Amino acid sequence: MKVRKVGVVGMGTMGQGIAEMLAFKGLEVLAIEKSDEKITQAIRMIEHSLDKQIEKWALTQTEKKLVMNRIHPINNYAELAECELVIETVSEDLDTKLQIIAEIDKNCPPEVILASNTSTLSLTELASASSHPERVIGMHFIHPVFKIDLVEIVRGLKTSEDTFQRTKHFIEETIDKKGIMVFESPGFVTTRLICLHINEALHVLEEGVATAEDIDSAMRIGYSFQHGPFEMADRFGLDSVLAALEIMFRDYGELKYRPSIVLKKMVRAGQLGVKTGVGFFNYNEDGERI
Amino acid sequence: MKVLVINAGSSSLKYQLYNMQNETVLASGSVERIGMDSSIVTQEVPGRDETRDVSEILDHVTAIKRVVDMLTHAEHGVLERIEEIEAVGHRVVHGGEVFKQSVLVTDEVKLEIRRLFDLAPLHNPAHMMGITAVESNLPGVPQVVVFDTAFHQSMPKESYLYPIPTVLYRRHKIRRYGFHGTSHHYVSDQAAAFLEQPLESLKMVTCHIGNGASCTAIKDGKSFDTSMGLTPLEGLMMGTRSGDLDPAIVPFTMNKEELLLSEVNSMLNKHSGLMAVSGISSDMREIVEAMEDGDKNAKLAFDMYTYRLRKYIGAYAAAMNGLDVLVFTAGVGENSTHVRAAACEGLTFLGLELDHERNAVRSRQTRRISTDNSRITVLVVPTNEELLIARDTFSIVQDK
Repeated sequence: MKVRKVGVVGMGTMGQGIAEMLAFKGLEVLAIEKSDEKITQAIRMIEHSLDKQIEKWALTQTEKKLVMNRIHPINNYAELAECELVIETVSEDLDTKLQIIAEIDKNCPPEVILASNTSTLSLTELASASSHPERVIGMHFIHPVFKIDLVEIVRGLKTSEDTFQRTKHFIEETIDKKGIMVFESPGFVTTRLICLHINEALHVLEEGVATAEDIDSAMRIGYSFQHGPFEMADRFGLDSVLAALEIMFRDYGELKYRPSIVLKKMVRAGQLGVKTGVGFFNYNEDGERI
Repeated sequence: MKVLVINAGSSSLKYQLYNMQNETVLASGSVERIGMDSSIVTQEVPGRDETRDVSEILDHVTAIKRVVDMLTHAEHGVLERIEEIEAVGHRVVHGGEVFKQSVLVTDEVKLEIRRLFDLAPLHNPAHMMGITAVESNLPGVPQVVVFDTAFHQSMPKESYLYPIPTVLYRRHKIRRYGFHGTSHHYVSDQAAAFLEQPLESLKMVTCHIGNGASCTAIKDGKSFDTSMGLTPLEGLMMGTRSGDLDPAIVPFTMNKEELLLSEVNSMLNKHSGLMAVSGISSDMREIVEAMEDGDKNAKLAFDMYTYRLRKYIGAYAAAMNGLDVLVFTAGVGENSTHVRAAACEGLTFLGLELDHERNAVRSRQTRRISTDNSRITVLVVPTNEELLIARDTFSIVQDK
């Protein structure tokens, strides 16, 4: 069954990015949020993002119009029944996700793939909210979705081979990204490795070995990272980095995942990185370093 | 024999049905929005009202089925039976180095077209879908593929190689291929017929100027050089494409503006040319209008466009050591008296004299627009790529 229509549940930063990318690839997107205001805001943000791309000559006005025409805001879960795939991207909180998955499950026929964009939670546990756990799979996109062509396809204990194959085909043939298969494990591959990298950089900073600016330069120039660990953390959102580390610290019980004190302090102070304009560095509204 | 000509894109498809006994079009039409639940099939039959049908068409197989249904429709159709279609001709953008002329579709040919997906990732896969869709709807009907690049396969090495490490040619076949070949071929034949002289005896430059634009130098009846290269970005300035530029601009801009490859690619293909310079439009008609209203940027865009065109014509005259016939064709070439006049203005040193009255006449016919004394004959020849595809298909299938 070829995927032509995709439901995106939760239109925060990731949801917007996923919806925008899917529509750009020619798919019809049904987008749902908690309230009309939220969905309107999300659509406005997608439009803004497309405008930024036009400024960068990546898109034309006509293409923008086509992309926007493929994104349909809906306010009823029942409408998701016509999709071949539904991706949930609500906040990284187990109870919220369980509730949303149960709601999608109720409304979609069993052949519809139900994907979660979780970066740390247990797929097996999320799948328990579905009456057909074999159709639940993880589809972990990386921000910014438009630019990063990698998706972690996460298999829970009960995810069927058919669900996996269809998902892999969708990722690699339909949206033309590289899909890597990972088995359920906190943080999978990407979040686990990158959060440790950031956490270790925070320790280096705490110890007074080098400044944030210099640590970033070291990794950026020395090892060809696009951004150093601190700018990377600023771009992910320091609260998200903290939450991921806390989950991994709890689940693995290993000290190396214990979040740095500096990170906790900054999150408490509301300095979350790009989204608040201040993190380790300062940013303007368009997310550019100032 | 009735021949169906198909030009399949990734989400749309155009078709013409020809009666080859008298080379007339029996019906023409298009399918748009393939892959959607509200696809549109439009068909025109000479002397009748246009027919439109909106339905769900999810793939090319269904699209071709709808086309066949439309052609054999009791009320709107032009055929009694589907079997009346005896051959199908397809436009294929890239034929690489393998295809030097049109060929009958076989398993090997299909394999080769697939191998060329890399060189034309936007076009060849869609053409392939068209070919397989015809196979499943009209089993056993012979199909012919006509390549945009084939006519230029006669270019000598000095025309088609780039002065870069030759390993790139060996490994990836990076060389100049040229495009619009079917059109350059068709109009050069028409021009020679109009002048009642053998094509082989004429040194000709054909200017196919539409949304995309290319010039071809034709000597001894063959393409000797053409302005488009590995991709249709090289050569003349176009509606939204830059044409020739210093390749160092690419890394320089990427660095300064922090652009991705896809962004710089899109910048040169979709945000450059007339559109970029004028800031108004990529459409020559609107540029000329704005220019006449005194818009300086439109005037600059027009001047750059025609200056670059003139340079190519001059270069090709030098490359062939002479020029007998200059041909204008396609949307802009056939219709813009301004572009033709400006391009020819600086070519008087070659003995070219444009007849401004003849140039101002609008017509759908092949016509001379130079004076009777002009050393170079300038012609406007309406292009008809579909007819050439139908002719090639007809002759290949007949000889089978």
